[in-house]
This record gives sequence, C-alpha cells and structure tokens, in this order.
Amino acid sequence: MVAGKGGVGSSTVAAAAALAAARDGADVLFISVDGRPGMGPLLGGREINDREQTLQRVSGGGKVRGRTIPADQAFGDYLEMRGVGGVLRRAASSASLPMLAAATPGLEHLLVLGKIKELEMVRYAELSGVDAPPAGHAAPFLRAAAGLSDVVQSGPVLEQAREVGELLADPERCRALLVALPEEPPITEVIELAVDLGDDLGIALSPFVVNGCWADRPGLDKSPAMAARSHKLKLTDSAKAALESAAAFGRSRLQQQREQIERMRSQRSEPVLTLPRLATPRLGPDDLDELADALIAAAEDLEVPT
Amino acid sequence: MSDKRSTKREEPSLNDVVRNSELILTCGPGGVGKTTSAAALGVAAARAGRRTVVVTVDPARRRADALGLEAGAATDEPHQVKGVTKRATDGELWALMLDAEQTFDRLVREQAGSRKQADAVLNNPVYQAISGSLSGAQEYMAVERLHQLHASGDWDLVIVDTPPSRHAIDLLEAPDRLVAFLSHPVYRTLTVGQRTFARITDAASSMFLWAVKRLAGPQIVEDTIQFFRSLANIESGLRHRAKQVSRLLRGDRTSFVVVSSPRAEAVGEAEHLLDAISEKEFPLGGVVINLIHPQPAELSDDDEELLADLDAGPLADHVAWHAELSRLAQAERDEMASLRRMANSAPVIELPLLDVDIHDVDGLVGLADRMG
Repeated sequence: MVAGKGGVGSSTVAAAAALAAARDGADVLFISVDGRPGMGPLLGGREINDREQTLQRVSGGGKVRGRTIPADQAFGDYLEMRGVGGVLRRAASSASLPMLAAATPGLEHLLVLGKIKELEMVRYAELSGVDAPPAGHAAPFLRAAAGLSDVVQSGPVLEQAREVGELLADPERCRALLVALPEEPPITEVIELAVDLGDDLGIALSPFVVNGCWADRPGLDKSPAMAARSHKLKLTDSAKAALESAAAFGRSRLQQQREQIERMRSQRSEPVLTLPRLATPRLGPDDLDELADALIAAAEDLEVPT
Repeated sequence: MSDKRSTKREEPSLNDVVRNSELILTCGPGGVGKTTSAAALGVAAARAGRRTVVVTVDPARRRADALGLEAGAATDEPHQVKGVTKRATDGELWALMLDAEQTFDRLVREQAGSRKQADAVLNNPVYQAISGSLSGAQEYMAVERLHQLHASGDWDLVIVDTPPSRHAIDLLEAPDRLVAFLSHPVYRTLTVGQRTFARITDAASSMFLWAVKRLAGPQIVEDTIQFFRSLANIESGLRHRAKQVSRLLRGDRTSFVVVSSPRAEAVGEAEHLLDAISEKEFPLGGVVINLIHPQPAELSDDDEELLADLDAGPLADHVAWHAELSRLAQAERDEMASLRRMANSAPVIELPLLDVDIHDVDGLVGLADRMG
C-alpha cells in the first residue's frame, strides 16, 4: 500500500516499486485505487482501467499487470461471490450502490480493500502494489475496515472488515510504503501517517521513501571563483554571475533537504530511502526505469550494513 | 517576473478580483500551496480595506499555522488573524477551519421544520456516521459554509480554500449531486408515505434494502429507513439550498482562482479544472502559478565551451547544477505558457519557490505583496 501527500509522486514511486519487484522476477499486480491517468503508459502499457492488462514484461520472467478497482465492480464481484444471480446482481449493483454507500460509511473503501484482500488470498499475483488515494484520503481509506465495525454489528460486511483488518495487520502479507519529498510539509505528513497507520492501525511500515531528492553537490559550498581555482581555471565575470545565480538556490535547497531527512530519521526508527529528483518535468517509461534502478540500489544499500 | 504586465494598466489583476468579489474559491491540485495562496489573497483583501474571512478545508487540520489556527484548535467559528493590517483604512482578516460535521448539523437544524425533526435526523446513528465521512460531504459542506457566511452579511469577502481534488470538479458539482441523490428512485420510494419495510414492493428499493440487510445486518436497515424518512422532512429545504448555492457559485461577485505549480502533473490537473470551470460557466478570477523554480542567468557560448568536459571537482558541481536548474526552469516555463493559454484573459500571477516555507503571518504579508 503506497501512500503520501498529494503531489509528492507516490503514484510514481508505487509504479517504480512494482517495476523493481518485476525485475526481481515477480509477477506484480499494480492496482490504482482512483485510476489516476497516465500510470499505464508510464509502466509501458495502455491506460489502466477496470480490465486487467499486462503492462510490461521484463527479462527474467517478471511482469507488471495493472488494473483499477472501481467500487461498483467490487460490489458486483462481492455479490457474485455470495451467490447472487446475474440479473438480480446487476439490478442491485446499479440501483443501490450509491445509496448503500451513503448509508454505510467507508463501504466503498471496504469493498475495494475487500477485493484486494481476495486477490491476495488466492495469491492472484506474487505482489500487489496498491496506489492508495492521495492527501488526506489515504488514512480514511485504510481505516475503512476499522471504522465500519463501529456502525455495522453483524453480517458479512463485518466479516469482510475483519478479514481486511487481518490482512492490513499482518506484516508477512501487507506493508505500507510512505512517500515524501525532502520538504517540511510532506515530511511532517509522513511522520504523522506513520503514527496513524503504523502505531495506531498496526500496519507494518516499509522504509520511508523520500522522492525527488536533489543530487548532493558539495562543490556548491564554494563560490564559483573559488571552485574554478581548484580546476586551475579563471572564470569571466559573466560566468561567475551565471553560476552563482543558480548556486544560491541550490545551497538553500540542499540544506533544507538535509535538515528534513535528518528530522525524519530523528523522529522515527524506520529506515529512509532516497530517490533522485529527475530533471524532466514529464516522466516517461525510461525515467521510471531509472527510478526503479535507484530504488533497488537504495534498498540494497540498506541491507548491507546490518 | 511580471514587470511587463504590471505596467499595462488595462489588464485585469488579481488585486481587482480581491477588491470586487464577494466570494473567492481557490481550487487546484494538492501540494501546490493552495491554502497559503488563499490566505495571501485574504491578506491582500484586508489591506484593501475589506472585512475578509478565509475558510480552509483540511481533513488533516494542520496546514493553517500561518493563519494562526493551531492544530487541534479548529473550531467552526472565525478567529481574527492579527498582524496583517496596519493602517486605519485597512480591513480585517479572519480565518476559520471548516468542520464538516458541525456545518452539516447546522444545515439540518436550519432546514428542519421543527426541533423534533432536526433531532430525528441528528440522533440517527446512520446520520452520525455519514455526516463526517459521506463521500463528497467535505466538498459540499465547504460550499454550504460559504453560503452561510456570505448570507450572514458580516463579511465583505469570503474566501474558501477548497479541498484538493484529483477529479477537480467534485466541489463544483457537490450541490447538484445532492439534488441527484435526493431524486434517486430508491430514495424516493423509501421516503414516500409511511410504508413499512415489509410493504415496500418497488424492485430497486427492496433490492437495496435486501442488499443492506444481507451485507450489514438488520439493525442498519431500520436505521437507514429511519434516516431517509427523517431526511424527507428537510428534503425540500436541502433542495432549495442546493439550488441557491449553485446560483451563488455562478454569481457576478464570485471568482474562482485556480492555483497550480508549474510541474507537468499539477498543470494537467489544473487544466482539467479550468476546462470544468469554463464548461460549467463558473466565473474565473485568475490563475496563480506557485512554487516556480528560479531561472539562472545563461552562460555565454564562450563560457559554455570553457566549462565543457571538466574533471570532477567543485566547478563541475557548479556547472552540472547550473545546467540541471536551467533545464528544469525552462521546462516549467513551457508548462506555464500552456496554462496561460488556458487562462485566456484572466490574470495569471507567478510566485517563486521560496527558500523557506511560509509558516507565519509575516510570510503571508510578503506573499500578498508579491501577488499585487
């Protein structure tokens, strides 16, 4: 379950993680909860919809499949599983889902989580990577199971909620991967999400991922003129000015990045992985390859010292 | 950055929007500084002599430090933000954090014919469960609170910072959706007359109740029917209000301000939003492009040549960084050009990515100055 504040690239990180697992030979199912556009092409396929498709095969036998899980489809599947016939099922799911959802808070989330749980229980894929809803919605989404049992006291919904709760709380089956940027608000959000999902809901946490990190450039600490001296070069005044016009901003960003990652490490015990900031504003499949490489490298670095 | 425009007087500016509107809604994707922009517009309005209230909607209730709304201190009543205004001709800035449940409760009380009817809705367990979490409730309550504040006559200007929305038009459609919900055939059958559960024969409704019972047990069926019945008492009021709000959102003194960053993802979402605003005929007041990376000065061709193929070292760091930031800044300017085209004749304000995040009133005042 991949989650983070809006705009931090958690969908991209979810896709990169799916690709990294496929490179490892796994059959991965990438599930986009809200069907964010652009994710299918990023993973090398067509736009993702409610019909599963294979997005990418990687050498070594691994592959990434992708789909969304709309609540009404999850509802239909659920009724089918409960042995409800075709005509009735269509009538029920078209007429009553909006009403049912209104009457039963969190039901739509639970139906989607329930479907994910079904897929996991039959080992439909070796790994399901779930791109959870963004911003303030991730915690309510994952809390749906716990929240529903307050309103619903009996019946299959309660059972479903319990099973989803078991899935979420079992570190062998489910982990939450929280994503931030190296800036104050998203780092704060991840620290709070970690308390919410990890400490309160009991979901096991993967290492935190800080996405979009600027490459460290220690040379920026020197002025352009000083830096040129180390290279035995003399700069024109215009070159000095041009380089300095970039350097001032770079220093302050790099410092903020260091401080924020440090703050995250000091407040939480989870390891922190960093992913590079890619220069391109519009990510393509090649960029995703690069991020998957970086994710694998960062994860390997983590494993070495201990 | 906007030198060229500020000298051309005939072009509309965001200052005009702040001076002339009675309602401003800021909307845009998450993570672009929307709350901060709404607050800065509030500062600008207060300094233009207007009594202004900024309503923020944040499910996490924590990004309002700059407005002096401490985490946990969220209430449904406005607080005055001090330190914004200095001159006697200045107005006032107030802020409040939306509490969807309280707003919903207030709406039910206002629309109910009697206290008893209101209590029947408010005390229903189904209502209690949905008022905070009903999908779209947050969006609807944001526009509802806007209407309450606007109608109170206490404010010259009400600014609502809408919830970030990936699907962008949730908020704009919230009133219409409520009406659609109340017109749903299942809802209609359930609420017409005083039928008992056993006598409801309509296929879709009995299917609905059957499904609820099957899925969630018999108690919730009773609660649900009771909830819909009690809601029926306030239904005409809700419908009427939904229409009023819908009209208000399209009024002459209403402005939508779209906030985006120049990153491709955000721009894509902002463009969807601009499309929706134009299609639904909501008045667009302007576009704020926030968090723009600075564009470094260019290196001359001779300098480029001198600095090509350096060995690793501090100067190579400088050159690589200059190239990276220049590329990024240029890509952002291309995205911004596309947003400008979408904005049509509405003013576009560009704001830089600041070295430090804005977390106090002084920061907001600085931002408001940049907007002017």
